[in-house]
Amino acid sequence: MITFVNPNFAKELERFGEDTASECFNCGTCAAICPLIYEHFPRRMIRYIQLGAKDRILENAQELWRCLHCGLCTQTCPREADPGEVILSLKRFVVDTWRRS
Amino acid sequence: MSSETKIETNPEKIGVYICYCGGNISDHVDVEAVRDRAEKIPGVSVARTNMFMCSDPGQELIMEDLRDGVVDRVVVASCAPSLHEMTFRSAIYRAGKNPYIYEHANIREHVSWVHHGEKATDKATLLVAAATAKAGLLKPLEPIRMEARRHATVIGGGVAGLRAAKDLADRGIDVVLIEKSPFLGGQTAQLDRIAPTGDRAADLISDLAGQVLQDDSIAVHTCASVEKFEGYVGNFKLGVKKQSAQTNAQQILAQLKPSGKKPGEFIPFAGLYPWPPPASDEKFSVETGVIVLATGFKSYAPYHGEYGYGELKEVITLPKLIRILAENNTAGSCLKIDGRNIRHLAMIHCVGSRKIPGVHPEDESGNLNEYCSRTCCSATLNTANIIRETYPETQVFEFYRDIRTYGRGQEELYEQASRNKVIFLRFEAQDSPEVSKNSDSDDFPLRVKVRDALTFGEDVEAPVDLVVLVTGMEPNNVSELVDMMKIPVGADRFLLEIHPKLRPVELSVAGILLAGTCQAPMDIGETCTGASAGAVKAAALLARGYVELDPFVAEVDLHTCNGTGACVEACLNEGALNLVEMKIDGKKVKRAQVAPAFCLGCGACVAVCPENAIDINGWTLKQYEAMVDMIVSDDVVA
Repeated sequence: MITFVNPNFAKELERFGEDTASECFNCGTCAAICPLIYEHFPRRMIRYIQLGAKDRILENAQELWRCLHCGLCTQTCPREADPGEVILSLKRFVVDTWRRS
Repeated sequence: MSSETKIETNPEKIGVYICYCGGNISDHVDVEAVRDRAEKIPGVSVARTNMFMCSDPGQELIMEDLRDGVVDRVVVASCAPSLHEMTFRSAIYRAGKNPYIYEHANIREHVSWVHHGEKATDKATLLVAAATAKAGLLKPLEPIRMEARRHATVIGGGVAGLRAAKDLADRGIDVVLIEKSPFLGGQTAQLDRIAPTGDRAADLISDLAGQVLQDDSIAVHTCASVEKFEGYVGNFKLGVKKQSAQTNAQQILAQLKPSGKKPGEFIPFAGLYPWPPPASDEKFSVETGVIVLATGFKSYAPYHGEYGYGELKEVITLPKLIRILAENNTAGSCLKIDGRNIRHLAMIHCVGSRKIPGVHPEDESGNLNEYCSRTCCSATLNTANIIRETYPETQVFEFYRDIRTYGRGQEELYEQASRNKVIFLRFEAQDSPEVSKNSDSDDFPLRVKVRDALTFGEDVEAPVDLVVLVTGMEPNNVSELVDMMKIPVGADRFLLEIHPKLRPVELSVAGILLAGTCQAPMDIGETCTGASAGAVKAAALLARGYVELDPFVAEVDLHTCNGTGACVEACLNEGALNLVEMKIDGKKVKRAQVAPAFCLGCGACVAVCPENAIDINGWTLKQYEAMVDMIVSDDVVA
């Protein structure tokens, strides 16, 4: 499957919360510290935001609801990209998209 | 120094000094056993050991024996001579003796680091014994002293050449600067705003070239190149050709007219144009003491089809984009090139750099640029930032392998790009992005597809309007200079310094120095650092008014020479050996004569002389024979 880059998605997401995903430099600290979920969470989601891979976010949206918002990722992020807050924004975006669909 | 010089002192007083090297040697070599054996070698008057012979107390040991007359030949057994031969020669000199009565035995790299146990001790003993055999036959030598012309020639009129010329002139040395093109400023003139300071290339060049042109002790020659080279440090002679360059000149004049620019002004993307080329070809020669090479680099030209270059018109290089941006006057929030909106712009890093054998193809000449060009990451980020800040509607995607923004203020460019929402995609060397025509219905002409390492190896595709190839640096082709001057060149085709850390701007050819990107990819600041270093080294060579050359050159025994001329034919350096007429015992005869300043000390002449009438001082056949005799002798390691 091919993911398409869509730089306009960042703008679309602004409506749902603070957009700090572009600060991320993909170090993976957030995924390492996350106590609940393996499989590169929340790093992969943030990467999808950077690319604007909307479809991939929606396909994997269930992952978002396993997050308990403990805040460890936000605390440890070296770029202050605030992954916890970005995940919340994504939840709002997904809910909004579901409602419309 | 003539062959008749007898060994003035009794050569039976050899001092042997063996180093522990703090365990580096003594962990594997029984240093005291070597000492006991060395003491018994004929001619050895003392044999001593020390924890660190190169330390002050170690050196003092040697100097004291010399001053007391206990020894008159010195053998030190320690590390490689490249490390400490000079140290001990200068200790001998400080003790008031001739520094050439010295022989070095390497018992660390050649013994303790590669052998163990008894065998190591035996080999160390043999090397020490061989050195003493040679030492017994050493004679005091004098360095060859040649008058040095207080004049420097700088080849290349880019930032490196300009910087070096100005620094030399400031030191009170007359300088000739030779530039091939009609312009000053070199490759820097191909830039606009320079990272990370935002300086204009035009300002930097106008400032530096202006200083050079105003300096009375610098003679600048544009449209000029070096055709002939002869001589040696302190006394080089260069043949220079100045070309009228008709076509080039016309192009430039045509370019000057509409811009209203006159000679003496800076012309964007060409350089500072001091004066028109000469009306006709001219030739002249320059007598000079030192030469600074500042021959610079050229931007890598992608091969046909590399990421679609040459096949797809929307694929260009970074230098081209920089020029387009500088010359673009169209306003608007989206970058427009040739009337086309550039909504998505892809930049592909490491084009022509960091290539891997077996992964990337070699070019037609079999070259593969395995090095990192170092400056392109910052140049790319700088350009991306300029675009994002000037044309917010133009999105930038950077396809990279690693981001290497070394140096002050340059990592900040990367952070700035993140804030500017530049999208980064990372590829492994074997998974280069693919650029193709877009066949889908959306109106982006190109697609860039990549296996994105940041998205865990997923295939990612970006629709784009323009692909920019971030091309690296390649050294300018200076093969003619390299052949003429016999300069070493690295596997990467950049000119090769003597030592990358300790002697970074000197070449193995004495009196020729390096400045700037002819040596390696560098940014402008590093180029100036290198150029200033080259200028200082050049000035230091000329400061005393004379240069001293090692005396390890050929010497003819006029009593044995019968003038066959075999040595002259075998000689590798033209001018070093000549057959000359002279009177011997009242008869006119032809005999070989050495020009010491030209002699390389290679020994090719020694090998071919049927009479054994020629030898290399400090490395005579007799000395070799004595060493070999000692190595095969059964007496030493008994």
